[in-house]
Amino acid sequence: MTAEIKDTTWKELLEEFIKGVDKAVEELGKRDVENIPGAREALLTRLNNMKMHFPKNNGEIFIRAINDKIQNAFFPETMDFSQAFRDIVKSRTHEQDFIINELLNGFVSSKAKAIALGTEGPIIDRMVEAFAKRNDFHIVDYQFFAMFGDPNKPRAYVKNQLQKLIDLFGLVSKELVVEKDIRRSEKKIYTFYTFPEEILEILAEKYVIFDEEIEQARVSEAFDRNVFICMFLANLAINRDNIEKIGGSYTINGISAIFALILLLSFMPKLSVEENNPILRDPSFKEDNMSVIPKSWMMKQILEPLFEPLIKIIAYRLGGGLWLSKVITSEINKKIHEQIRFLLKDVNKWILGNLCRVEIPIFVEIANIFTEILVGYNEE
Amino acid sequence: MSNRKTYTRTTKPGKRREKWTDILPRYLTFISHMRPILRETRRIIKDLDPDLLLDIEILDKIRQEEEKRNIRTVRALSEFSAMYRSNIYEIMKDFILKYHDKIPIIDIKDYIMDFLHESVDALDVLRKITNPDKKYYENTYLYRLVKFLEEKIFPRGNSVKVIYEKLLEHVPQFYECQRHLLQPHTYYREKIENADLFEIPGISPKIYQIINNITSLYNLDPNYGAFPEKEKHEIPMILTNDVFAPYIDSIANAEEDAIEKIAERIGLRIIDGIFLAPEESFVKILLENNFLRENKQADGTLRYVAQFSNETLLMYYLAFASMRRGFLSRELINWISMNFAFLIYMGVLKWKLSEENIFYSIFKDLQTNEKVLPYLMKLICFPNYLGIDKMKIRDSPQYRKEIFNFIGSQIDNLKELILEVAVECEKIDKEKK
Repeated sequence: MTAEIKDTTWKELLEEFIKGVDKAVEELGKRDVENIPGAREALLTRLNNMKMHFPKNNGEIFIRAINDKIQNAFFPETMDFSQAFRDIVKSRTHEQDFIINELLNGFVSSKAKAIALGTEGPIIDRMVEAFAKRNDFHIVDYQFFAMFGDPNKPRAYVKNQLQKLIDLFGLVSKELVVEKDIRRSEKKIYTFYTFPEEILEILAEKYVIFDEEIEQARVSEAFDRNVFICMFLANLAINRDNIEKIGGSYTINGISAIFALILLLSFMPKLSVEENNPILRDPSFKEDNMSVIPKSWMMKQILEPLFEPLIKIIAYRLGGGLWLSKVITSEINKKIHEQIRFLLKDVNKWILGNLCRVEIPIFVEIANIFTEILVGYNEE
Repeated sequence: MSNRKTYTRTTKPGKRREKWTDILPRYLTFISHMRPILRETRRIIKDLDPDLLLDIEILDKIRQEEEKRNIRTVRALSEFSAMYRSNIYEIMKDFILKYHDKIPIIDIKDYIMDFLHESVDALDVLRKITNPDKKYYENTYLYRLVKFLEEKIFPRGNSVKVIYEKLLEHVPQFYECQRHLLQPHTYYREKIENADLFEIPGISPKIYQIINNITSLYNLDPNYGAFPEKEKHEIPMILTNDVFAPYIDSIANAEEDAIEKIAERIGLRIIDGIFLAPEESFVKILLENNFLRENKQADGTLRYVAQFSNETLLMYYLAFASMRRGFLSRELINWISMNFAFLIYMGVLKWKLSEENIFYSIFKDLQTNEKVLPYLMKLICFPNYLGIDKMKIRDSPQYRKEIFNFIGSQIDNLKELILEVAVECEKIDKEKK
């Protein structure tokens, strides 16, 4: 018997999820907002299948989906920063970048007071700009002040802002002491910011053209804001046990909710539409990489009972009891969940009133786990 | 007491120099300094024995000699020329050092010659992008390229409907660019609502999220109410409270207060003080584009059921902004013209420079961009081109830094549009010949 079966918390979480599914099934019975015939029935069947199969083998589907897929792609289970970063960067695709971006946007907007005040959005682009333009891959604090400083605000403000970003992305600083400054002949301390050595190696492989002969590194075009976002995620992943360092319960709730949304989307069944459905003629609909899925799960009444237990499951698997204790189950948080249900709009699109999932690797891989287990069960 | 007369400036600096004949020479100033430097360098390299290239010090000496010949009297120009020349020489040195073991030096010389040739060609196009006077502008690269881009991402038309439909045509290929055009990176300077004047601001991330929420709520489970302008017809309506319910701690108070204005920009209106419903004119547009379908009710009323796509409301915003382009906010004007200027500049480079051209980085350098793009932005604003208020283009270097920083984070879809611009350049060139 494995240790996990004895884990009563895990068992309770699974039970709580099943109760949620029951509630969602009940709510779904009351309303039909679908416009594709059979969509509601397909969702009902899926929810019932989830109810039947998810608790099996100690919640194997959840464990595999979270441990093997979500963690590998976005939140690697390692204490090694470079390994975490390498894994996240490796799983990048154009569409997956939308998820990563959304993750940060949601996160930044919830932390707007803490990071960079009114300018939080472009600040990452500015960091990209600052690094991409320097071939030695360092930025000097003075360069940052010159590029981004606001003459109407004291230097300390910009300094503070820079330090927050450095911490957020896990960058490192180095000091250079000049005994006699060339202009004033005074002692001067320059602070350089750069990536940790091991990250520089990965960047060198992927984004930096590093020339040993002339000891210069040039940054390629592929180096973009998502590299920083991957750094940010890797930094969170390795510091998951240090709640204060990763921004407290805000971060835990935000990240768990987005991953819960990814799980939920992956579990949605594909619908077949009739040949004369206008969606098939819509140029935005790409049959080869999009699937029409039911939209009823987005309704407040259905999402609410599913979402909270799912968030707890994610939190528990990613950060154990420590994270679970930080999940806020207040009424206010339920409102925030409502905000999250409409996120991931570039991979979860509306086309002519139908909800379409873009079949990116993470969705496909998680859905495959479910199908595999379902097929195995049917064969038995 | 001194008798010297004091001069008081009554207008802001730069404000009077806003004619075509004022701006074009400013645009040409730096380009016309870059081109001779590249041509001189090409001549020098051509005459140089390839083996001498292996001695890097020789290149340094040539550069120093060239700098002595500098006769520019305007400090900014001589500084720029020195910087530009030194960048060119540094890049050539790096290239030689990097490849002298792998490629024969004679081939390295040929490569450098080709790269210089391409760069001069690119500058030639940028130099002749338009006419000094405003005559015969229809055949210039600038006019043709502005119109080419305008048609795809910011079209003109006699009505919002015409513009909306033009935009929809290009949604499958360029939706991300169209959306990008509405989202200035300097959104935090925008006012959502201006009580004193009619002004259309850009979309902030929060407003974007709100528009997405509205789209989803329409598709999920809207209410239906009487269509005020048409008897026995019902239109979908959603509660404004539902839109703002998820926002806690007053984080969307400003947006909630300005909902009427926001609604107007996405073709909606407030009914009975609590519902958001489509305007009469928008209902027609939605019906024609299959975003509303008719559903006959048992009591004989005709119900319009919403079936919105991601772009349904956002494209209305863009069409509305395009129709009323004289009323765009300062941020949006700067952002739109910046994007057009950037796309044209990069499109020309893409056309003329090969991918491996070592001088690409100089063209994309912030220091070069900030010398060329601001004037290109102003030229693009003239009535025959985009027709937006060029007086709102900001001149402060601090602000320019801020907007040019966006170049570091281009979206992929913009890159695709740049490729299209390059193809269009080729087409224009063939027609000219």
